[in-house]
Amino acid sequence: MDELFQVKVREQAGASVVSAEGEVDVSTAPALRQRLYELPDSAKVVVDLSEVTFLDSTGLGVLVAALKRVRESDAGGDLRLVVTRPQVSKVLEVTGLSTVFSVFPSLDEALA
Amino acid sequence: MSIATEVITRVLLVEDDPGDALLTTELLGEAAHPFAVRSASKLSEALEHLHGGVECVLLDLGLPDATGLDALDQILTAAPGVAVIVLTGRADHDLALAAVARGAQDYLRKGQLDTELLSRSVRYAVERKRSEDAARRLLANELLAAESARLERGLLARPMLDTSDLAAATRYRSGGGSLLLGGDFYDAIELADGSVRIIIGDVAGHGADEAAIGVALRIAWRGLVLAGLPAEAVFTSLQAVLDAERPHEAMFATACDATIAPDRRSVVLRVAGHPPPLLIADEVRTVAVREPGPPLGVGADGGWDARAITLPARWSLLFYTDGIIEGRSIDGANGRLGIPGLVRAVPALASRARDLGELLDELLALAEQCNGGPVADDIALFLISAR
Repeated sequence: MDELFQVKVREQAGASVVSAEGEVDVSTAPALRQRLYELPDSAKVVVDLSEVTFLDSTGLGVLVAALKRVRESDAGGDLRLVVTRPQVSKVLEVTGLSTVFSVFPSLDEALA
Repeated sequence: MSIATEVITRVLLVEDDPGDALLTTELLGEAAHPFAVRSASKLSEALEHLHGGVECVLLDLGLPDATGLDALDQILTAAPGVAVIVLTGRADHDLALAAVARGAQDYLRKGQLDTELLSRSVRYAVERKRSEDAARRLLANELLAAESARLERGLLARPMLDTSDLAAATRYRSGGGSLLLGGDFYDAIELADGSVRIIIGDVAGHGADEAAIGVALRIAWRGLVLAGLPAEAVFTSLQAVLDAERPHEAMFATACDATIAPDRRSVVLRVAGHPPPLLIADEVRTVAVREPGPPLGVGADGGWDARAITLPARWSLLFYTDGIIEGRSIDGANGRLGIPGLVRAVPALASRARDLGELLDELLALAEQCNGGPVADDIALFLISAR
């Protein structure tokens, strides 16, 4: 399970960039949630899902919670998603969440 | 003599006086029942020997490294399942009674010990402790099961269908094969004009909070529908209920609301982030919703457009929660069953199932089989069929 999922955090271009890799599901979503919780009150958060091969409803829940927290924080920021794989974009479309998140096709565009 | 009396009872004697320790060990050695006795002269030593099958501790309260009932507390904390009998040297009745009140099974006065009394006390203490623990576990399980059953009744209504031209079947499987419920819910109501309203939903997450909100949403939906609220306004009201009732801001829910026309030849769907139903007729396909609306409670207001679908003369609609498609699969896309895997699997299962319930059982079995065990998320299935 652990070798299938990784999450890294770094600062880039004034944004907190959270890169996830592998499958985000019931067993791995708590790790992603933890890293998102630990972020400083940042105006700009980018969650890079381009290396995510599977995203289930638990993972969506984690992202939605983070989105709300960032938008409602004192910094009044935004949470952007980088999505390149169809497995992930499909899930966002089916759940109608592609209209709720700001979704970008590359990290550069998300950071612009 | 029954076999049970032949089983060795493992005793740990905690006694700092070597003479008393020898005497007690000898008394137990003379008993008809076999005892395996291990000795410790200090509490610290006793704590090291507690594990490894010790069933009963004979505890002298006057140890060098513990005072009063402290030793008893430490032993019961370290090994809650072990039976403790307190040995008192003096006629210290109050201390002995206090020990029993704190969790010791019994107390014995050292000067009055004999083989028969000691043997019987130890064996009774062990049995009594065992049955107490079993009763406690049973009670805890019963409470959990009762709580789950209560929530399950709330989440999974009996469909209010009185019509003879439609048949329905439902199934619910809690995630991970556990007793605990998540927040999947469904309901169906036939209205006075003959139309049938259906909802299936899923509160994101897994646990009693989610289940309680699922119950609230289902009952709110039923109330709104029975009160005659137009279908297009239902999701806005449900979202208001969710916003007001949820224990924390991050909780959201997906739902699919359907209205089947009185003539049974069309259905109107509204989707809030929920997978649309499968239409099972001559062929099996998902009822595509071009732009599904967002889930309830994610901060969006509206966007839950209706979509009308014409139905053939004979049809079934399978409403489901995502637990059924998110289970792993060896041959599915990306290692998961997915909606395409579900669509592929249904025709064969439908043709051999003898009734609606059997088809749902087959689907649950398939998801579990693909996953190689119980699926992690909850699964709710609602199948309705025009005869």
